Amino acid sequence: MKYLDAFHTLAKRRRDEIVVTSAGNSGQAWWAATRDTEATFYLDASMSLSTMFSSGLALARPELKIWAFMGDGAFCMNPGTLMVERQMNLPNLTHILVSNRVYGATSNAGLPNYKDNDYAAIARSMGLERVFEFGDLETLDRDFPSVIGGNAAGHTFVVLEVEPFSEAEQKLEQPPFDGPELKFRFGRHIERRSDCDIFGYRL
Amino acid sequence: MVTDKASDVAKRITDELAACGVKLVASLPDNWLMGVIKAVDQDKRFVHVPVNREESAIGLCSGAYMGAMGSAAVMGASGFMTVIYAITKINYTYEIPLFLMLTLRGAGGDHHKHHISNGLYLRPVLDAISMPYQIIDDPADLGLISRSYHHTRTFSRPMVVLFTRDLLRGQGGHG
Repeated sequence: MKYLDAFHTLAKRRRDEIVVTSAGNSGQAWWAATRDTEATFYLDASMSLSTMFSSGLALARPELKIWAFMGDGAFCMNPGTLMVERQMNLPNLTHILVSNRVYGATSNAGLPNYKDNDYAAIARSMGLERVFEFGDLETLDRDFPSVIGGNAAGHTFVVLEVEPFSEAEQKLEQPPFDGPELKFRFGRHIERRSDCDIFGYRL
Repeated sequence: MVTDKASDVAKRITDELAACGVKLVASLPDNWLMGVIKAVDQDKRFVHVPVNREESAIGLCSGAYMGAMGSAAVMGASGFMTVIYAITKINYTYEIPLFLMLTLRGAGGDHHKHHISNGLYLRPVLDAISMPYQIIDDPADLGLISRSYHHTRTFSRPMVVLFTRDLLRGQGGHG
């Protein structure tokens, strides 16, 4: 499954979910698919913290549904995050692991043990119950709505098996925001959606 | 071992946090902090999330801020030394406030030789990344927790409170 095709499919299936991206490729791909300037936090190069950031947000705002992208390069740096996610078991959080079997943000450098890493099995071994895998576009398009629909109890973990970015795709535009601008764009969106007060003053 | 005086200090720390509006507390243990962590865990004013890597506490608290939830990250000095990248990448890049409570390991009174590196480098590392910190040794100064927490919100930056061994053992100040 092509990385960008998968993201266009997710974008098509998105309703009002808040999105947090991980380093490099997922931010580029989501920006290419959506050009979202408000409801996505492009968390650049946090080295495995996109789902922890998302868990804090999901805990704080249970009325919002959160999608958190994480590459398998980041996941392999800190798979223990899944234990924390399982412990928190937030029903409004979907962890979308984008498995391209390389460090995509660093020119597709090799990922240790990439042939044998079984991310869904790792998740199940940590007690996660809502674990889903997609390896082709047709199945993703058909079944993803049922994964995210309804009011399922507990945290959801989705593995997307995709091809690494091509050389041309590596040159896709990065989301063009400085950090504080992104914080305020995203935060003001959350304030409007949830009638909460993040920054201590409302514009 | 948590003595009566130590448990009083732990209770006052949790009261300070609650008064700031802290709801989420993410922690990794340090022996000196066990009284505080236990007090947080048993206090229904907080959602206590034990994590398995200090960086995860940074991510959780930063995300909670973006959802308008007050938070604190609690960890030992050694754990803090592993999170410099996470803090500079997330909290400095996006200017997201973060409040941390740490142990002042390696200072006078620490019985553990292996904390010599923290004694030598913890404060220089904080200075190197221009992170303000407040040492609290006396129970009479616990109000500085609130002042430090509000400083993070005013200036959209992280700040650290460093607890001494004597304080956490209930032997600080005139104790």
